[in-house]
Amino acid sequence: METKDQKKHRKKNSGPKAEKKKKRHLQDLQLGDEEDARKRNPKAFAVQSAVRMARSFHRTQDLKTKKHHIPVVDRTPLEPPPIVVVVMGPPKVGKSTLIQCLIRNFTRQKLTEIRGPVTIVSGKKRRLTIIECGCDINMMIDLAKVADLVLMLIDASFGFEMETFEFLNICQVHGFPKIMGVLTHLDSFKHNKQLKKTKKRLKHRFWTEVYPGAKLFYLSGMVHGEYQNQEIHNLGRFITVMKFRPLTWQTSHPYILADRMEDLTNPEDIRTNNKCDRKVSLYGYLRGAHLKNKSQVHIPGVGDFAVSDVSFLPDPCALPEQQKKRCLNEKEKLVYAPLSGVGGVLYDKDAVYVDLGGSHGFQESEEVRPTHELVQSLISTHSTIDAKMASSRVTLFTDSKPLGSEDIDNQGQWMPKEEKQVDLKTGRVRRKAIFGDEEEDESGDSDDEDDEMSEGDRLENSCSDDETEEGPDAEVTDKQYMSRKGIKRQKLEMEEDFEVDLPAFADSDDDLERSSVEEEAEEADESSEEEDSTAEEERDILESKAVREGGKPELLQTDDSSDSLNMEKSLTRKKATFTTSDSGHCTAEEAFASEDEPEGNSSLSTEEEDSENEEAIRKKFPKPQVVSSQKLGSGNLIDETSDIEDLLKEEEDYKEENNYSTETSGALKWKEDLSRKAAEAFLRQQQITPNLRKLIYGTVTEDNEEEDGDNGEELGGLFRVSQPASECKHKADSLDCSRFHVEAPHDWDLEEVMNSIRDCFVTGKWEEDKDAAKILAEDEELYGDFEDLETGDVHKGKPGPDTQIEDVEEEIKEEIDPSAEESAKKKHLEKKRKLKEMFDAEYDEGESTYFDDLKGEMQKQAQLNRAEFEDQDDEARVQYEGFRPGMYVRIEIENVPCEFVLNFDPHYPIILGGLGNSEGNVGYVQMRLKKHRWYKKILKFQTIPLYYIEDHNGRQRLLKYTPQHMHCGATFWGPITPQGTGFLAVQSVSGNMPDFRIAATGVVLDLDKSIKIVKKLKLTGFPYKIFKNTSFIKGMFNSALEVAKFEGAVIRTVSGIRGQIKKALRAPEGAFRATFEDKLLMSDIVFMRTWYPVSVPAFYNPVTSLLKPIGEKDTWSGMRTTGQLRLAHGIKLKANKDSLYKPIVRQKKHFNSLHIPKALQKALPFKSKPKTQAKAGKTPKDRVRPAVIREPHERKILALLDALSTVHSEKMKKAKEQRHLHNKEHFKMKQKEEEEKLKRQKDLRKKLYRIQGQKERRNQKSSLKGPEEQLK
Amino acid sequence: MATQAHSLSYSGCNFLRQRLVLSTLSGRPVKIRKIRARDDNPGLRDFEASFIRLLDKVTNGSRIEINQTGTTLYYQPGLLYGGSLEHDCSVLRGIGYYLESLLCLAPFMKHPLRIVLRGVTNDQVDPSVDVLKATALPLLKQFGIDGESFELKVVRRGMPPGGGGEVFFSCPVRKILKPIQLIDPGKIKRIRGMAYSVRVSPQMANRIVDSARSILNKFLPDIYIYTDHMKGINSGKSPGFGLSLVAETTNGTFLSAELASNPQGQGAAMLPEDLGRNCARLLLEEIYRGGCVDSTNQSLALLLMTLGQQDVSKVLLGPLSPYTIEFLRHLKSFFQIMFKIETKPCGEELKGGDKVLMTCVGIGFSNLSKTLK
Repeated sequence: METKDQKKHRKKNSGPKAEKKKKRHLQDLQLGDEEDARKRNPKAFAVQSAVRMARSFHRTQDLKTKKHHIPVVDRTPLEPPPIVVVVMGPPKVGKSTLIQCLIRNFTRQKLTEIRGPVTIVSGKKRRLTIIECGCDINMMIDLAKVADLVLMLIDASFGFEMETFEFLNICQVHGFPKIMGVLTHLDSFKHNKQLKKTKKRLKHRFWTEVYPGAKLFYLSGMVHGEYQNQEIHNLGRFITVMKFRPLTWQTSHPYILADRMEDLTNPEDIRTNNKCDRKVSLYGYLRGAHLKNKSQVHIPGVGDFAVSDVSFLPDPCALPEQQKKRCLNEKEKLVYAPLSGVGGVLYDKDAVYVDLGGSHGFQESEEVRPTHELVQSLISTHSTIDAKMASSRVTLFTDSKPLGSEDIDNQGQWMPKEEKQVDLKTGRVRRKAIFGDEEEDESGDSDDEDDEMSEGDRLENSCSDDETEEGPDAEVTDKQYMSRKGIKRQKLEMEEDFEVDLPAFADSDDDLERSSVEEEAEEADESSEEEDSTAEEERDILESKAVREGGKPELLQTDDSSDSLNMEKSLTRKKATFTTSDSGHCTAEEAFASEDEPEGNSSLSTEEEDSENEEAIRKKFPKPQVVSSQKLGSGNLIDETSDIEDLLKEEEDYKEENNYSTETSGALKWKEDLSRKAAEAFLRQQQITPNLRKLIYGTVTEDNEEEDGDNGEELGGLFRVSQPASECKHKADSLDCSRFHVEAPHDWDLEEVMNSIRDCFVTGKWEEDKDAAKILAEDEELYGDFEDLETGDVHKGKPGPDTQIEDVEEEIKEEIDPSAEESAKKKHLEKKRKLKEMFDAEYDEGESTYFDDLKGEMQKQAQLNRAEFEDQDDEARVQYEGFRPGMYVRIEIENVPCEFVLNFDPHYPIILGGLGNSEGNVGYVQMRLKKHRWYKKILKFQTIPLYYIEDHNGRQRLLKYTPQHMHCGATFWGPITPQGTGFLAVQSVSGNMPDFRIAATGVVLDLDKSIKIVKKLKLTGFPYKIFKNTSFIKGMFNSALEVAKFEGAVIRTVSGIRGQIKKALRAPEGAFRATFEDKLLMSDIVFMRTWYPVSVPAFYNPVTSLLKPIGEKDTWSGMRTTGQLRLAHGIKLKANKDSLYKPIVRQKKHFNSLHIPKALQKALPFKSKPKTQAKAGKTPKDRVRPAVIREPHERKILALLDALSTVHSEKMKKAKEQRHLHNKEHFKMKQKEEEEKLKRQKDLRKKLYRIQGQKERRNQKSSLKGPEEQLK
Repeated sequence: MATQAHSLSYSGCNFLRQRLVLSTLSGRPVKIRKIRARDDNPGLRDFEASFIRLLDKVTNGSRIEINQTGTTLYYQPGLLYGGSLEHDCSVLRGIGYYLESLLCLAPFMKHPLRIVLRGVTNDQVDPSVDVLKATALPLLKQFGIDGESFELKVVRRGMPPGGGGEVFFSCPVRKILKPIQLIDPGKIKRIRGMAYSVRVSPQMANRIVDSARSILNKFLPDIYIYTDHMKGINSGKSPGFGLSLVAETTNGTFLSAELASNPQGQGAAMLPEDLGRNCARLLLEEIYRGGCVDSTNQSLALLLMTLGQQDVSKVLLGPLSPYTIEFLRHLKSFFQIMFKIETKPCGEELKGGDKVLMTCVGIGFSNLSKTLK
């Protein structure tokens, strides 16, 4: 019984054991691995042909280098911004449904209406911003710029539509983001076979456009108006694991896809003038590069603007904090779409938003829809009521005007034919793209589909466990949590707001300034102490104290708005200002000014200096204090000013960061409070930022700010005191020199001074790790012990001094002191590391290539970039490197046209593209351009760009038409854009364009402020007098002056005679003398080829489609073509009669016969003489031969002879044939005999060799056996 | 509706070069008012006018407007063009005055710059051509501006007040610059120098060399000071002599000092021995200040760091000169860039005074003039 239950032993089919067995088995069969094969059959692996070997080597090298990309520094931030997923497709293909399904898949929420970008957290390290893209070409162009991933929806039941291809081409121009195709409407196929065929056809077409093997996703069918969960889940997985290649434009420019817009304009201004320019704030994740404050941005569809302020906000859709879990918590699945009224409840500095119980509040709102909607619409008021009203009846895509079907001739096989198809149900016009070769593609196999399906299955499996974790009960708790959290956040932010009250940056600056002033004050105090303060100074101080008292009430009045704490602070600040001002300097600027003084203007009297001081003080004070400061200035003595100068120098040596502050506080009672505060400030300052920073950036005010207000004082109310050498002016107009003069030279003869730079020289002391002697000693330590193998001596390295000490220490302390042990351990580790380094260096030496080095360098740089500002807080960091990508920022922009706000449509993306330096300027942009192969017409000179082609001598010659299949140059007046940027041309961006809309593509080559394109200009003239080779030409010029300009120029006749302009003639104005290589005819036309520079019109008209009213945004037209204008105005084109083509009627040319004079004929050599054969005359009678008439007998003989000869010849013929046959037979026989003979000989030889071989073997055997036999 | 980049406005003629150079590089127009407005001789001086002319020569499409009195200047920069040029500099300032700005602009031209500058090669105010050749060129090489055509040649030497010197400068163009990490200046391994004398006895140079060596030999044995005595047409129009010293470290840092004799007819005659000794002391002073960049070239280094890719650049400098400090402020207003400034106290080491570590992230500048082929 038990035996039956037992399983049979099964042989292992995999695992190490089975492999081992297999190997053994193979060895038994003498079939080893390749190594064995090499040994067994070396010939098979030998070099057969050197050429082939070289070729294969080249090939492998080629393949290897093809994989290399130019290494770039990895600048992706640690917390990258959400990935922009653009869902694109023709209308009614299922874009919105897909977005809804994706959002539901990731966040378990259902958004009914989606407007603008939606940001969701899709994974632990990834967020997505999903945005829909319609068929408006403006929108397509804008979104292709910012897209990281494009989901290209294709209606499988219909096929490709023109929009798809247009978008692909737009993407290509902008650097090609990742593109994934999604086939929808697959459920409309009834037969499986047809479905398969369609899939295959579409896939192959997609591959030719994107790249072979590009991912194409199939959404098979709808369930309850939604895509199947599993398929969406798989699609989501694909998106979350996708990797992206950085695109040049995107990484070199900061850009923002705004997800929120607010109008900040003063309501009063709007009330008085509804059309006034607006101030708006835009919100969004910063992507690409660092954004600097106050830089310029371009908003496609609106224009260029200067950013008035940038600030970063807490991330509204933050990634979850680091944790070990595999998948996201339910409460971490955030969604943020303020334009759609979801999430995004923020507490900003100028707006209040109420959180509605977190992101899950939305889910249960299905039943209570109406009230909720109302509240939400109230909350997320981004625009005025007018705009709201307008936006409430948005129509997404107006159907393009049905156009009359036209005859479209196919240019090439590859080109899709556009076919307008009208949907019977909806009356929608669709632009189907039809290919000539589609039918051929249809036949084939179906294996491709299978593997894709299996891929999907695999994903399914991998994700199934994720799904199981999500339960309904978790959701409930989350909801509760969220609501609580929301309240808390609100409260918190309330507090913050209360405290800050100022814009974030202004505040921080203020802080900096404040503390710096305090610090400086303190410094001054300290220095004054050092310089054993004189009585005068003390008096000054007292005076200033008085001044301070006077200043106080004023300050109180001015600061009444701020709270008490602030007031106190500001008070102390002012105090500090006063105290510093009495010692003559406060800001760095002034310090330097006074420093410049002695060198720049040594003759300046001390009195003047005095007045300068005064000036400095006055500047620090508000107006009322001027009087007192003047008093102070007059009280100053001459030697005191020099004292102050000393102080200045002292301060310039900023190294004296004072540590005395605490001491002084004790000593000087009268400023106890102040110095304590200053000390605190100083300490704080020391921790945050060094002093020098404020010297340079902190307290500096712009020069122009200082200018006004210095003429405040009046003498007797009538005259103003004009002070030419006022301090500011003096500084502004001083010598411009970059040399740094030595102020107080050291005495380099003193020993200690000399010693202070001793170590700067190679002769000085080196660092521990670089000192030659030390290194040598260490090396000995490392390699000290060795054994000489030849002699057998054992060399023992001397134990180094430190190791000796160590030993001793160890002996003494014997593990009592753990630190000693630790240090020993460290030393040991160090030693090991060094050894390893040395080994690595030695080992890797041959391996590293240039590419590897470059890559290593880049990596190092990337590491440095990351590490440099890592430990600083965002506020400080932003100042140094700008706002880094990944931050959620708020950008304020002023002077925005009111239409932007009034006609705001959240469905249209708002993109803020940062402009680099001088990218906001305009100039001539030169490009390499090629007409798109699918565009029907060639481009003409009437377009905005001018076309040109470069001749061999570098001349840029104007072209009237673009070449059909070739690149040409193009120039237009427009924004300066970096070289290498792609561009595309469309004839019109308004929606009613038939056919393929992209006219041309290309790349920017050059930027300049002038162009040198020329066009050919032929000047014609006519000879009016002809001498031998000289002719007088008229009609080419109008004056002698013009002729003089062209003296020496090359001219030519139409018949090809070349000549030169010599000199102007007097008689007809503008006529000239010219010489030619041959005599002209009066009928000749003389012309001169000249080059005339053309000018590109400085016309630049950026698209302002976003300013159009809602629903008309796709109707923007920059300008109308002349044809459209003519049509609109009903003007008929008057054809010039001369320009019409007429059939060319050519007269038959009649040539006279050539007549050579007789005299000439005679002189000619025979060869050239005309050979006119004279007619043969009659033969004379005596020359004519008589006819022969035979006798009958003779005739008989002749006949017989004829017959005989015929017989003979026949006989001979037969005999010849016979002989030939004989010969053939004979030859055959001979061959046979020969063969037999050979065979016999071969046999014989074989026998002979066999015998010989046997004999040899026998001999060999005997020779081998010989000794053995002998042994036996 | 191309919106011009909003212009910046300044007053006073000081730092005119900085402002114009940065304006050219950033493409932002600049307006400078009140140029010596209260002076007896108001308006732009000859040397400044010459500098503006030079800028006009190297750019294409710049707009320069100067008012009647010359007290207001409006400069709207064009694109840097370059090519083969010649320029007669004013003799009021040295060629160094012009060359310093050209060093900032030359790498970003459309065509490689090849320029002949005529004027005063060595004077007491501006960094001389010799010093710039010895210090600024190696500095530019650190940023990847290198090549066969990168050279600065003193063809003729001209001393103030007459001038008559000639310098040839050529520089290749680059699209982008490399970031630098110059943190360790290394140790000085050699000192080189150039003692020149024109239209005076050639013995002067030898006397300078001896006296300078007498001081420097206490620190380093590897000192070589070349003597350069130019004759005939190569000696310019005025007599004079001087010395420039350059200390090179193991890590390729060059520190320099120089002194020139008083111009003919101005000030007391100077003994060559005194000059040599003083110059040597100046070099020691410069070494005391230290850093990886010479004090005259601080601003150049900072500018090129700013114009780098969006990577972190670091450089260790000695105390910042007033010129550099103002330059930093200008960098902030033109490029919105701020440097992280850390002071490195000298501590116990005998390596001179305190140092400043400047760190910045480049703005990702790329040469917009260069033609793509």
